[in-house]
Amino acid sequence: MESIALFRVIKTGATNFYRNFWLSATATLIMVITLAILTLTLVTFNITSVAIQNIQERVDISVYFKTQVSEQQILDIRSELEQLPEIASIKYVSAAEALASFKEKHSDNQLIQDSLGQLTDNPLPPTLQVKAKSLDEYPKIAEELSKSNYAAFIDKVNFQDNRSVIERLSRILSAVKRLGVGMAVVFCFIAILVIFNTIRLTIFNRREEVEIMKLVGATNWYIRWPFIIESIFYAIAASIITILLTIPIFNYLLPRLNIYLGTNLTSNTWGFNLWIIFAIQLATALILGIISSTIAIRRYLRI
Amino acid sequence: MIRFEKVTKTYKDKKAIENIDLEIKHGEFVSIVGVSGAGKSTLLKLIFGEEKVDEGKLYIDDIDIASLADEDIPYLRRKIGIVFQDMKLLPKKTAYENVAFAMEVAGYPKDKITHDVSKILDIVGLKDKTHNFPDEMSGGEKQRVAIARALAHKPVLLIADEPTGNLDEVNSFEILDLLQKINQLGTTVLLATHARDLVNKIQKRVITMDKGRISMEQAKGHYKL
Repeated sequence: MESIALFRVIKTGATNFYRNFWLSATATLIMVITLAILTLTLVTFNITSVAIQNIQERVDISVYFKTQVSEQQILDIRSELEQLPEIASIKYVSAAEALASFKEKHSDNQLIQDSLGQLTDNPLPPTLQVKAKSLDEYPKIAEELSKSNYAAFIDKVNFQDNRSVIERLSRILSAVKRLGVGMAVVFCFIAILVIFNTIRLTIFNRREEVEIMKLVGATNWYIRWPFIIESIFYAIAASIITILLTIPIFNYLLPRLNIYLGTNLTSNTWGFNLWIIFAIQLATALILGIISSTIAIRRYLRI
Repeated sequence: MIRFEKVTKTYKDKKAIENIDLEIKHGEFVSIVGVSGAGKSTLLKLIFGEEKVDEGKLYIDDIDIASLADEDIPYLRRKIGIVFQDMKLLPKKTAYENVAFAMEVAGYPKDKITHDVSKILDIVGLKDKTHNFPDEMSGGEKQRVAIARALAHKPVLLIADEPTGNLDEVNSFEILDLLQKINQLGTTVLLATHARDLVNKIQKRVITMDKGRISMEQAKGHYKL
């Protein structure tokens, strides 16, 4: 008996949804806009975060040693440097390794391969690649290295200061966060109002039916739930439309981002996973729908 | 089955009914008469839980109505069939669908609904109007649909509030015949009305109300004011 009642409640909710098609279309559309803004914010936020992380990972100090410095001397310097509190890690790249990786990197360039073949000596110096614990330490470390008593062994300290880029990205990140969250809040509010109004109109259109339902002994949940079901239909429809819009945008965007940022983002990467994004959209839509229908029912459905 | 003990109901300082003592037994046919505003409708609304008793006690089948929670009211209403002057039919549903609606909301399975609804429509004499919409029916026929709907739950009590108010004489008497037939089948009937001719024809218990009080009770009564 309960399952029949449940089926009838859902059926009534579905009838409410398609009986006033244009009203339902408007409610769904405004929800799609809200979800799209939310998704856009989320994705922009994720992209900026990935970009910052990516650039931060690429920042390091390369210490090029003079070719006559022995490997043992370099390793001794490394262990001394590792004692410094501001240094996170130091990687030693020998001259041979540097050459091998250079060859590999330019394996398809015949000219470089040819000129390398004519050399008898390895032209590349051994290197230490230093990573600091925080970005702000880099200039200090670079300066100290070039001044220290190791200076005699060092050919060149190479440090590219990416801090201004990172700072700019961080500013974008916080702007995205503020603007996105602000817009999302405003549109959530609009969506709640629109759905509230739609449910209110449905209640108004069905007031006779509701009155009769009460008379013939319909339980309160049997009267109320079709209106909540109606808003759940809006939520499901809106999330499906939004995710269908998101998929092609992702397919277009991710490969280009990967080239630009040198990342390997796929639609399985956390933060870009379509299922997770769909789940977030659906959850948001359901919360908005249930909030607005509940308010409408409380205000306009006298039981 | 219904017992009023010193029941008073007040709307904004105005006493709609005052100090009512009344007992109605199973299987009775009781007419409640009185001018508009005498308290007939309020009395009926208290019975089906549309209004709450302010003072006194109201028992239905020995259950104190005041002890029922809001969630219990629907189950009370499935024991009571209610018919109004304005019928309250759904215009977009056929006679069949209007009656079936009452059973659907109570969660009956489809095959039982199909079976019962055609039987009930037969009882009220609307077998050949099964698939007509309210607009395609006369006032009397519409009121029969409303009565059929009220019977859908096989109620122990049928409350009819001015059921003939919008009907001509012939139709009114037909509705009355139907109510008497339902009463003979064992359902208690409570009829609130203005219609003098109807009441005089019934020859059963009459309760006359005036200004919220019972002014007269007759076992085989006539309409007197």
